[in-house]
Amino acid sequence: MAAYVLKRLLLLIPLLFGITLLAFFLLNALPGDPVLSLVGERASPEVIENIRKEIGVDKGFIGQYMGYLKLLLHGDFGRSYYTNRDVLKDIIMKFPNTMRLAFAAMLIAVPLGIVAGFISAYKRDRFIDRLINVVSITGLSIPIFWSAIIIMLFLSLKLKLFPPSGTGDIRFLFLPAFVLSIPAMATLSRVTRTTILDILKMPYINTARAKGLPSIKISIVHVLKNAIIPIVTIIGLDFGSYLNGAVVTETIFGWDGIGRFTMEGIMKRDYPVIMGCIIFGTAVFVLVNLITDILYHYLDPRIRLHAKEK
Amino acid sequence: MPKLFWLLLHQERNIILFFCSTLIIFLLSCSSSDRLEGYVYYRLNANPTTLDPALITDVSSASIAAKLFNGLVRLNDSLEIVPDIAERWEISKDGLRYRFHLKKGVRFLNDREVEAQDFKYSFERILDPKTKSPNTWVFDKVEGAREFQKGDAKEVKGFKVIDKHTFEIKLRKPFSPFLSMLTMTPAYVIPEGDVKKWGNDFASHPSGTGPFVLKRWLPNREVVLERNGNYFDKKAKVKGIVYKIIPEDLTTITEFELGNIDVISLPASAYSKFKNDRKWNKYIMSLEGLNTYYLGMNSSRPPFNNPDLRKAVSYAIDRRKILETFYEGRGRLAAGPVPDLLRKWDVKAGINYEPQEAKEIIRREGMSGINVNMYVTADQDVIDLAEIIQSYLSEVGINMSIKQLEWSAYKDAVNKGEPDMFWLSWWADYPDPENFLFPLFHSSNLGPAGNRTRYVNKEVDTLIEKGQNSLNENERNNFYKKAEDIIIRDMPWVSFWHRTDFLIKQPWIKGYEVYPIYTMDKGTEVAIER
Repeated sequence: MAAYVLKRLLLLIPLLFGITLLAFFLLNALPGDPVLSLVGERASPEVIENIRKEIGVDKGFIGQYMGYLKLLLHGDFGRSYYTNRDVLKDIIMKFPNTMRLAFAAMLIAVPLGIVAGFISAYKRDRFIDRLINVVSITGLSIPIFWSAIIIMLFLSLKLKLFPPSGTGDIRFLFLPAFVLSIPAMATLSRVTRTTILDILKMPYINTARAKGLPSIKISIVHVLKNAIIPIVTIIGLDFGSYLNGAVVTETIFGWDGIGRFTMEGIMKRDYPVIMGCIIFGTAVFVLVNLITDILYHYLDPRIRLHAKEK
Repeated sequence: MPKLFWLLLHQERNIILFFCSTLIIFLLSCSSSDRLEGYVYYRLNANPTTLDPALITDVSSASIAAKLFNGLVRLNDSLEIVPDIAERWEISKDGLRYRFHLKKGVRFLNDREVEAQDFKYSFERILDPKTKSPNTWVFDKVEGAREFQKGDAKEVKGFKVIDKHTFEIKLRKPFSPFLSMLTMTPAYVIPEGDVKKWGNDFASHPSGTGPFVLKRWLPNREVVLERNGNYFDKKAKVKGIVYKIIPEDLTTITEFELGNIDVISLPASAYSKFKNDRKWNKYIMSLEGLNTYYLGMNSSRPPFNNPDLRKAVSYAIDRRKILETFYEGRGRLAAGPVPDLLRKWDVKAGINYEPQEAKEIIRREGMSGINVNMYVTADQDVIDLAEIIQSYLSEVGINMSIKQLEWSAYKDAVNKGEPDMFWLSWWADYPDPENFLFPLFHSSNLGPAGNRTRYVNKEVDTLIEKGQNSLNENERNNFYKKAEDIIIRDMPWVSFWHRTDFLIKQPWIKGYEVYPIYTMDKGTEVAIER
């Protein structure tokens, strides 16, 4: 196990290296000049040249990339072109917010989604199943910016239950977390439903029934345990992407997370910020995947972590 | 299978219990007052990029900096230049020497008195290439500035400390807008000690002499200012100012309606809603802005190097109708590039909507069916406007294609002169017609320095320079008038309108004024009266 984890973590290094190269290349291929965004509306060519030199974008692709790698090896993500703030510090400051939002969204989505999927599967083709289907398909198809605004108008403006925006305690967290949980909840309930329906057709369920096991025990021990793998996969993927920030939700609710930070960096061509966010995001995503993979092994011992053990 | 359902409920009891209890907590702790007592709440749509006066180029940052810092002079409500830290000043007869006598007892936050040396330090810092300041143009006309920037001189010869409370600036040649320019953000005085102490982080630990002090800055969340009890001038009436950073307009309006924000600027989409609401319409304030919105045409290359074609475009578009319908009358029709509020002369009547005339020109020039492009940002308002322009132009035989770019790429393309036509606006940094003529039409400012239509006319260059160098106001306005007349004749732009902005305030906000230039609001007049 330890060897497996170590191997996966070591693989992260070439992966991150590749990601930096690719991201750097894409950034340089983008139209738009960070210096021109930086200098305002009235800058002389000398000033532009000077700033270009000072922030090092005059060195060409290879030179810039080498410079950046050198910084990275010193554990430094550089400073934002605009705010002159340390990028790593900003990421570390914002990440807990993103994590809280992602956790809270999952906390809402996972139990509700799974329960809905279960009910839906066991009540197949009945009214409640249809209702859950309609609700989850709606949840999947509604764009987040729309649901966010409707929910804000209703819960904040009309009922005055939650503050519409801001980053802070659980009152501020609820609205964005709820909005963010909707698509995840919908996907989870759909996946849970189909998986359970498949499992219910399996011979071992018949066997269990034939043995005379109580249906509750069948549901928990045989059905849920076998259904857990696809569910965990979905949770892992959604959680990984939420940890990389939810731009729309964060923007509408004024939540200070990684998503908004990345987006602002992209809009202004703030290379150190974009690169920092990409590297950090990749690492987070890989780690979440690693944890998911390890979880697979524990949830279903048939899944081996080592190819060799086959 | 109700049993299963109840079982699941049972299994998840803890979670459900958790949900219920948190929900109850939410219900009990309604969202209302998180407000700091005695603080006024404003909104910013983006995080201020920096609070270092040397580096500021955005309005959000500049309007906060105005409350933290002071310069030698500032603008009063009627856009006149009045004393700030300088008590009085003399300008020599030749217009070259500006001698400022500083007020005594103006102190930085660390209680050190502001002296002439501090101004020398602050101004030289702008010009120092290491500062990376985009605002060097403010001091460009000072004697010795260029030598210092190139590293040929250790100090700027034109900044002279006469004694502790007397500071003199010498220019290379007379430059009439100079005093106006000293009201701008880069001309604020900062304490050398704090800059040295914080280095790069001075931007987030600004310390000045202003009516407010930065108490807390949580990037992308809020900026909190606190009243400076030792301010040398009229002290603020509120205990402090909280700027909430809310990117989304709709969220802002919700916050405003809940009473969490005290003053907001009304986005176009919400204007009519509040205007037609009897409860709110008396709290709407309007601000006639010092700005000009324009359709630029790249006059450095075909087809728009032909002034007649530019004129045809101008004849072809019914600007008045667009302003009154599409733009809901939120502006004044522009006669030329200089905003009406700054123009102290009669302008030659601009060009009106005359599609027949436009067709005639196009036929005469043999340009019927010509293809041109217009670049726009991804902003929906601008795209709509471009489509309106497109339909007007197609009526006179110009095929205009629209290319949509994201803001940064758009700016890059326009600065490099890629598009045939583009849509931009220009906002005053200081109240002088020169601010709308020199950067935008002088041939030394092609591209990113302001002249994005790449208009070159030696006569206009000379007239603008004469205006800058003239010491007599009437004479100066005469030069500017001539320059503007030629520009209107040559038509590198179609000047559309000067935008009027609308703000709305809460009933309990008293003394809030809207100012046409972001540096003018020191925040000392606003008060809360519940």
